[in-house]
Amino acid sequence: MSRSPLRRSLATPVLLGLILVAFALVAWAVGSKPFNQTIIDIFLKVIFAVGLWVFIGNSGVISFGHIAFACLGGYVAAWTTIKPMMKGISMPGLPDWLMQTEIPYWAAAAVGAGWAAVWALIFGAVLMRLSGIAASIATFAMLAMVNSIYSNWDSVTAATSSVVGIPIVRSVWPYLIAAILAVVLGWAYGISRHGLALRAARDEPTAAAASGVNIPRMRLIAFVVSGAIMGMGGALYAHSIGIVTPDTFYLGLTFITLSMLVVGGMGSLSGAVLGVLFLSSLIQGLRWLEAGVQVGTSTFALPGGVQEIALGAVMILILMFRPAGIMGNRELTLPRAGSDTPGRSGPTN
Amino acid sequence: MKRLLIALAATTCLTAPALADDDRIVVGFATAETGFMQAYDKPAQDAAMIRIKEINDAGGLLGKQIEVVNADTKTDRAEGAKAGLSVIDAGADMVVVSCDYDFGSPAALAAESSGLVSFFLCAESIKAGIQGVGPNSFSASVLAAVQGATMAEWAYTKKEARSFYRLLDTWTEYNKGICDGFDWMLPQLADASLVGEDTFLNEDASIAAQITRIKSLPEEPDAIMLCTMMPGAVSAIKQIRAAGINSMILNGSGVDGSYWLSAVPDLSNFFVPVQGSIYGDDPNPEVTAFNAKYKDATGGDPSTQYVYPGYVMIDVWAKAVERAGTTETSAVVAELEKMSGEPTLFGPRTFTSEIHHQNQARYLIVETDAGKPGVVDEWTISKPIPVADLMK
Repeated sequence: MSRSPLRRSLATPVLLGLILVAFALVAWAVGSKPFNQTIIDIFLKVIFAVGLWVFIGNSGVISFGHIAFACLGGYVAAWTTIKPMMKGISMPGLPDWLMQTEIPYWAAAAVGAGWAAVWALIFGAVLMRLSGIAASIATFAMLAMVNSIYSNWDSVTAATSSVVGIPIVRSVWPYLIAAILAVVLGWAYGISRHGLALRAARDEPTAAAASGVNIPRMRLIAFVVSGAIMGMGGALYAHSIGIVTPDTFYLGLTFITLSMLVVGGMGSLSGAVLGVLFLSSLIQGLRWLEAGVQVGTSTFALPGGVQEIALGAVMILILMFRPAGIMGNRELTLPRAGSDTPGRSGPTN
Repeated sequence: MKRLLIALAATTCLTAPALADDDRIVVGFATAETGFMQAYDKPAQDAAMIRIKEINDAGGLLGKQIEVVNADTKTDRAEGAKAGLSVIDAGADMVVVSCDYDFGSPAALAAESSGLVSFFLCAESIKAGIQGVGPNSFSASVLAAVQGATMAEWAYTKKEARSFYRLLDTWTEYNKGICDGFDWMLPQLADASLVGEDTFLNEDASIAAQITRIKSLPEEPDAIMLCTMMPGAVSAIKQIRAAGINSMILNGSGVDGSYWLSAVPDLSNFFVPVQGSIYGDDPNPEVTAFNAKYKDATGGDPSTQYVYPGYVMIDVWAKAVERAGTTETSAVVAELEKMSGEPTLFGPRTFTSEIHHQNQARYLIVETDAGKPGVVDEWTISKPIPVADLMK
């Protein structure tokens, strides 16, 4: 009781950060370009999953719409980092000041986060009054809406065409920093009074409301914070491959990031991060098997497409035996003698 | 086996990045082996492999055998970037990327940033090249706009079509490209006129409204320029004919092939531009010989003309390497850009420092008459489409 929630839970972001650093160091040590790109991809998914967790984990409302914020962020990267001459050709409808803007990628990520947060605030002000399945469907509608607008607004988003010319950042470190930043943000939100109030509302809405928790407002705060994280991730995603299209940020990415969160455990930040690391490693492992592995003198290779099937099967198995995900509701902490058992009583995240 | 080992080493990253090794010539295919793009990439890639085998059987390139490494893009853009990087790490001297600009560009951008030549298997957008990737990127096919321009000029000259109707399916860039070429050509044809235009969407179940507008014209147009592609094309064509409109229908190469003709029985007065004929009646007997070779290698006839660009790609690249005496990028690009009317099995090819794509090309005209397609003519547009018009 004597320790503040900050000190009590500090081990979680530190441990998660160290795991991420370890992944980055492996990429650096191996020195192979495709492997490096794989690790970058994993860090991006970590950002997305943490962004999802901030809202879904704390509020208990499943959101199918968060990838829309990644889309908003991705297009901010396109609007602000492509050379003005190229923008003039692909997106002639941009306002003049934006047409002339050319900022570095990290600034684009920050602006992307801000832009996504603004829209999260606008959408959230309406959507956060809903709860349960109605809220989930409404977030899905938001995704469809953003996708439709970006797929058709020819002069500003180049519609369904790929927007090219976004400077590609192939170094793993900026993505590592962003992923750690997302984890720290998620953790800080989780232990804040707003995070605590929202989890209280998730578990006992009536009691929480009776204790003075303004549920829509608490949800809105989580929605905006998570929107910002998704926006940052979307901008960096654009910088990782150099192009954006609206269909990159649609159902495919929505469901893979949600599955990672569910498999890891929706209830904990560690679950979000470890779910990504576990499923991404699994996908990569299966892809190697698809490419073929030398066993003795013969080559063993899975037929193409098995990766997707095996991934589904493994996810079903995990959820059969651990319905609350790999981490359940627990956080990753250091085992400490004499400390209150983490995760058993009260929120530890 | 060696190929698998290389691919494995590349993807499992057990090795340090391969340095440019002068003893080997490696072509890296960062193409879709799974997912919907596989249907487009695989046939063109098979054709490329046939050309590689021919070169290797004839003693190789610069005295070395061409080796091949593969990586699967899974019809996914992020995976595409990885696939590109992975064949580059495996020592690729040239990177072949997916047919479509949207799906091929991540791998092509990876090749570009590593200073390597990249070739789109059969992309037909101006962006697949200098304009959308960089100075070392090429496409093996012909611009969609050339198809629209070819059909307009040919129908005007050979079929004396004067009144045209333009029906655009706004689904893809490819469709828009065909109609852009048509739009560029039409004003240059004296007393040819556009009597009407309309748009629809590939997934539209019915284009009755559009057909009504065609029917309400004072007289039936001589030709309908139909800028669309599979799968929506079949339904659009069927509906136009079912409504009793017998104007000639002009198309892009995307509707080549006889696989869908049974859906529109006895289709006539229907014209498609193709780079080579899959129907066994190509004026060049070597194309028919290639078709047989393709059947031997894959067990089936080419289903559309989109097989051929893969063959052209290896052909022109290998010639450039031979002339440059090296696989070094700048030397190969310089040799490619010197090609002007370079003969290939499927017509002459030209690359310049301004455009790495064909803005003028010889096309065979295939007419479908009573449900039976066959080559009736060939046509090259009278002048190339200026790059400025392609970029708008």
